[in-house]
Amino acid sequence: MNENLHARAEKLIAQERVEGISQAERDWLAGHLHECPACSQVAQQTNDALRTLRGLAIPLPRGLTARTQFRVQLRAQELREREPKRRLLWIMCVMSWGLGIATAPYVWRAFEWAGERIGLPRLVWEMGFGLWWTIPALIAGAVVLMENLRLAHENDLHE
Amino acid sequence: MADDTKALAQGLKRRDPDLLDQLIEQYQYRLFRYLLYLTSSRERAEDFFQETWIRVLERGHQYDGKYKFEAWLFRIARNLVIDWQRQKKMQSLDALTDPEEGAPMEFAALNQPSPLNLVLTAEEKTGVHASLDRIPTAYREVLLLRFQEELGLEEIAGVLAAPLSTVKSRLYRGLEALRSAMQGGAA
Repeated sequence: MNENLHARAEKLIAQERVEGISQAERDWLAGHLHECPACSQVAQQTNDALRTLRGLAIPLPRGLTARTQFRVQLRAQELREREPKRRLLWIMCVMSWGLGIATAPYVWRAFEWAGERIGLPRLVWEMGFGLWWTIPALIAGAVVLMENLRLAHENDLHE
Repeated sequence: MADDTKALAQGLKRRDPDLLDQLIEQYQYRLFRYLLYLTSSRERAEDFFQETWIRVLERGHQYDGKYKFEAWLFRIARNLVIDWQRQKKMQSLDALTDPEEGAPMEFAALNQPSPLNLVLTAEEKTGVHASLDRIPTAYREVLLLRFQEELGLEEIAGVLAAPLSTVKSRLYRGLEALRSAMQGGAA
């Protein structure tokens, strides 16, 4: 029998299991396996090997599942406890920015008045006003950054 | 099935404790087996098993339910193992270059028995189990995902973060290696 036919048969035996083959190819393969004991043996060996792989049993360590469930529950509790703090932070930020926007004209006038009274150059009190606006954002950013660093550190400890 | 995975995704987003307990029970064996195939230590597989579920809890919101949950789970587990291997490699290099560390670190992994060998009893180490032991980890991993976990090729590609062509070629080579190993074991 032509060597190419055997090579094709072996290729189809593997392909059938890995990604599937068409009906025409399946019919051709069945016909070839019927006639060729060598290729039929390859097909049988492949089936046996896969059956063995599927049947391979690995014992699960005792208590692993219970330990894992316990750890996961603890971590879930930690995360739940942290959640309200985070929410509070965001609420405070939103309130702070809201108040900032609402009071901006008055604060601007207060800075202007204080600047003129002390005799500060316009640029200085304008920068002061700008800083007044950015402080809440900077604080919130710093808190979030610290929180993320702490989380990363915790993850490292876990690993 | 789509509804199931959507419900699962929503439960994970809520960090539903009952759902997580149930998932740990449901996937305990499969995840442990996969981790054992990837690492060379039973203890490490146990550690990664726990870490994987912690990650599932923390990053559950990232699961969108478009793919099978197990594919996502295996990907998380795999990434943890890869991170650990990277860290280990960096530590090894530190030890090699830092004279304070004393003698250079030995690459014990090369001499260690494979994961399969570690979990099998003396009796099981002969025959077919010993044959499976000879297959390279990269092939054994895809064989497990395809023929034990019955994941689709694209799902395997997702787990491995590798192109479909890589998955296929590993599967073909793995299948050939498996067949040869079995023949060798039986002989």
